[in-house]
Amino acid sequence: MISCTEFIPAYSELFKFLDKKGGKEAVVRFWENLSDEFLGNLRDLAAKKGLAGCFEYWSHTLTEEAADFRMVLDEKQNLFTIEMRQCPSKGRLLEIEHIKPYKYYCEHCDVLYRRVLEPLGFEYHVDLTNCRRAKCKVTVKKIHIS
Amino acid sequence: MTDKKIKILDCKSFDNEYLHKDFHGSLCYAIKYLDEVYGEQATEDYLKQVAKTYYAPLTERLKKKGLSALEKHWQKIFGIEGGKFSIEYKAQKLVLTVDKCPAIAHMKRKGLLFTQRYCQTTVVVNETICAEAGYCCSCKYEPGAGKCVQEFWKERD
Repeated sequence: MISCTEFIPAYSELFKFLDKKGGKEAVVRFWENLSDEFLGNLRDLAAKKGLAGCFEYWSHTLTEEAADFRMVLDEKQNLFTIEMRQCPSKGRLLEIEHIKPYKYYCEHCDVLYRRVLEPLGFEYHVDLTNCRRAKCKVTVKKIHIS
Repeated sequence: MTDKKIKILDCKSFDNEYLHKDFHGSLCYAIKYLDEVYGEQATEDYLKQVAKTYYAPLTERLKKKGLSALEKHWQKIFGIEGGKFSIEYKAQKLVLTVDKCPAIAHMKRKGLLFTQRYCQTTVVVNETICAEAGYCCSCKYEPGAGKCVQEFWKERD
C-alpha cells in the first residue's frame, strides 16, 4: 500500500510521468479530468452554500492535511480567502531530499479548483508567486449577475 | 469574532495530524486514468518509477538491514493508517497479512474505489523495491476485497 501520507510524492511523480508522455498538455488534461471526476464534494457544497461551502470544504481538507493556513470567509464583502503559510503538499515535497518536485506542481491547484468554481459563478484567483517557498494565496468571490 | 458574517479558521501544521485518506481515492483515480488513456503497461511503468524514486531509501535499507527494514516500514504505515493486519516471520519469509486494508475500506466508504486495479499500487511497488534490493515477493489478493497476504524473501544467490 502506498500510504496516504506518501501520496504527495507519488502524485508529483505522476505529473512527471505524464509530462514525459505528452508534455505539460498531458498533465493539464489529467488535472482537468481529476477536477471533473473527483471534486464532486466541492462542486456540491459550492453550488448549495456558496462561499460558505468553500469554507466548509477547505476546513476539512486542510486540517486533515495539517496545513499551516489562515482561512477567512467574509460574506458581507462576498469574499473567501486562504492564506497558505506552509502548504502541506509543496512543503512536504521540498523536504524530500532525494527527489525534486514536478516543476509545475503548484499549478494543479489553479486548474483543479478554477474548473469547479468558475462554472458556478465564482471568480477564482491563486497567487503562486511564492510557491517555491510552499506559500500561496487563494481568493474566491461570488460574481453577482444583475 | 463578533460579526457572524465573518468566519476565520487559523491553523498551524502541528494543530492537526497529517492523515488525509481521500488521497487513496486520488491515487485510485490516477490508476484508472492511466489504464484508460495510456494502457496497463503505462500504469506499471509509472508505479515502477514511484518505487525507484520515492522508495529508493527503503530499498537501500532493505539491502543493508534485510527484511526487518520492511517489517518496520509496514508497522509504521499500518500504525498510521489503521486497518487490521499482522506481520510475522515464517521460515525465511516476512509475511504481512492484511485482514482489513485501510485504503480499500476508506475508498469503499466514500465511493472512491474507481478501479479494481488499485492493488497494483502494492503489487508493482513491492516487486520493484524487492527486485532492486535482491529480494522477491508475492501478493495474494482478490481485487477490491481489501484483504491480502504479502510475502517477502531473499533471492537465492
